[in-house]
Amino acid sequence: MKIAATEYATHTAHDELLNRELLPRAAAQPLFDYLSTLNESELAARCEAVDATIMAMGITFTVYSDSGNIDRAWPFDPIPRVMARKEWELIQAGLKQRLRALNLFINDLYNEQRIIKDGIFPAEVLEGSGNFRPQCQGISPRFGVWAHICGTDLVRDRDGTVYVLEDNLRVPSGVSYMLENRQIMKRIFPEVFRTTNILPIDDYPTQLYQTLAALSPRPGEQPVIAVLTPGIYNSAYFEHSYLAQQMGAYLVEGSDLVVSDDDVVYMKSITGLQRVDVIYRRIDDAFLDPEVFNPDSQLGVRGLMRAWRKGNVGIANAPGAGVADDKVVYAFVPQIIKYYLNEEPLLANVPSYLCMYEDQREYVLANLDKLVVKPANESGGYGMLIGPRATAEERAQFAELIRANPRNYMAQPTLDISTAPTLVDGQLAPRHLDLRPFVLQSDKLYATTGGLTRVALRKGSLVVNSSQGGGSKDTWIVEEGEL
Amino acid sequence: MLARAAENLYWMARYLERVENTARLINSTTHVLLDLPLGATFGWENLVEIAGLDNLFEQNYPEADEQAIMRFLIEDTRNPSSILSCVQYARENTRTLREVLPAEMWERINSLYLYVRDNATIACRSRRERYMVLNSIIEQRHAIVGLVSGTMAHDMAYQIIKLGRNLERADMTTRIIDLNSAVQYPQDGALHETLMERVWMGTLNSLSAYQTYRRLVSMRVDNNGVVAFLLHDMRFPRSVEHSLSEMESCFKLLPKSQQLQQLTAQLRHKTAQHITDNLDALALHEYLDLLQADLGEIHNALTQNYFHAYQDGLPPVDNGQGEIEFAQQ
Repeated sequence: MKIAATEYATHTAHDELLNRELLPRAAAQPLFDYLSTLNESELAARCEAVDATIMAMGITFTVYSDSGNIDRAWPFDPIPRVMARKEWELIQAGLKQRLRALNLFINDLYNEQRIIKDGIFPAEVLEGSGNFRPQCQGISPRFGVWAHICGTDLVRDRDGTVYVLEDNLRVPSGVSYMLENRQIMKRIFPEVFRTTNILPIDDYPTQLYQTLAALSPRPGEQPVIAVLTPGIYNSAYFEHSYLAQQMGAYLVEGSDLVVSDDDVVYMKSITGLQRVDVIYRRIDDAFLDPEVFNPDSQLGVRGLMRAWRKGNVGIANAPGAGVADDKVVYAFVPQIIKYYLNEEPLLANVPSYLCMYEDQREYVLANLDKLVVKPANESGGYGMLIGPRATAEERAQFAELIRANPRNYMAQPTLDISTAPTLVDGQLAPRHLDLRPFVLQSDKLYATTGGLTRVALRKGSLVVNSSQGGGSKDTWIVEEGEL
Repeated sequence: MLARAAENLYWMARYLERVENTARLINSTTHVLLDLPLGATFGWENLVEIAGLDNLFEQNYPEADEQAIMRFLIEDTRNPSSILSCVQYARENTRTLREVLPAEMWERINSLYLYVRDNATIACRSRRERYMVLNSIIEQRHAIVGLVSGTMAHDMAYQIIKLGRNLERADMTTRIIDLNSAVQYPQDGALHETLMERVWMGTLNSLSAYQTYRRLVSMRVDNNGVVAFLLHDMRFPRSVEHSLSEMESCFKLLPKSQQLQQLTAQLRHKTAQHITDNLDALALHEYLDLLQADLGEIHNALTQNYFHAYQDGLPPVDNGQGEIEFAQQ
């Protein structure tokens, strides 16, 4: 297979699979050995098979547009992203460390607020937080854990350093695509699994089940677990039903649940009301319980917070966990790790400038053409300014936004994020990508083997979100040199 | 099992059964037509009529020729019972049901949907292409039934699927019998007899029952024999009584089903006792109409009992496992 050498020639980013001489890195060598056995027409046939498989498996995501919601086939690139096990294990340890600290932090914020009293974390950041839920104060969920499922976005900069870009602690999605990507690869390229020692990833549903089951208020009994979805029109509905199926859990909508006078959650089963022990909710806090949050919510369950506060139901992620999913809070994570764990952070944070501080704000405003500016509480890549690619007018508009609401903005240097060879017109061309591993915590900690690799399919683009033209790849964590 | 999921499951099963029956009915009708001599007529519009879709058809098509009827029955999504519509609904329902079905089920039904979507228009082009496409649809549907019976736990969800399948099947069998009354036979007595035999053979064929009938009932294919066979024969899995007895056995395994068991048993006894020998076409047609209404009543009762029970306040808490438990041997 041909490498698009001209595209690589002008390329400055780190490539995950190829070194500067465009030779495969050690971990990727078996993959390239295998690819060299496929001629052009064989590869084209496999690619067709991939498309057909994605159609048949019905792997879709929903795009909201003016002409109605459309189910699109999941864009998939058959060239996997490969990483050596040794490197991955270091990252894995860093991910677990980070989630452990973040959960201590959330629990502290809703209880004693020691970290504020000790002067590590500014009270004004908390006051300005859109995701802090005063209704959750004084509650300490089982194990003191609030964020049971975390999707951490990682990127690699030009010098090879892996950075955490953000911690998704509300309702992170994508894990079903990670699992399905591997299924596609196994079906279409089974041979390569014989010649490369690729670590399996399919224990995730079991781990997720155990994480949730540990939250049951009736330990010792088989817990009734439900995945709470906003319904079939949600963009991640595919994932909700997929995970329910993989775990053997019930897939429920708000209208299927009811909280009775005894503050217990029941679901409307054909045999009568049946108690629900744990809810893996895939709807935002605001819609969870019209009694406490948004009173107009049709998606939630009236009384759910009552049941949760009394300890009659486990909810993952706990209401209010999103307080740590905030780009300003992000800037404090290294201090948070040191404060609660007395450890050095194992994973690097991207240097961040907080516009709430005058000196940092002035720096940001003076350097908008070099920085990426992000709003504190948005996700999905919305509402960002990528300074070097913005027009002067766009930058001026953004400067106004920052001055009007400095707490809501933070800025980071533009990273030259890494690429991996991606199939474009029959050639391997460099495309930028990130990695979203999933980390679980209840009584135990777990991190996926690899994660979901998202790739910006457009040349030069840095936006990997599937809603904005991104695709994905299988992610291989490989054992080197043992075959 | 969730009441909402149960309702989706029940309809999924009904839609899939309807797809197969519609495909069978079109194929066998085509075959019979090829054998009809001059003097006998059969209007394609009868296919629309027995399904109770004549009004809808007339609103949308100026002429009831073969081409129009086929488009209406196969690919027209304005017809909620067309093959494409039913497959689409079954797929939408399955999307919400992945957690109660075998893992491969979604993929099978999704593939069936993609096949029908891509081939429905082709099926309407010529009789030859129609036969091939419909046959493939029937085969794919069989693979789905095989997947359910071979890999699915015999839990509540399974019983709900069986209920939907058998209720739809009993209803469709009565409609397929009724199709026969739509043939206008020539006055000539001897010719009348041969033709009638041929048409009944077609009916049996549409239900894959021809050989079974010859082997178990009679070499002679006549009115009385075939009607009795399709209504009463407990050995034949598409007969009305057999379908009713399957539903009874589902209800026995499901909770709070006393009244439904009774209702189904009553209808089965009533059907068993009804003698259809030597009925003229009109009387048979009227009887089949009544039977369809009785089946509709069971449908309403089970819908109310299992799916819509929560509309009138909350029922009591069920402290069991919420699942069928078989006694250990």
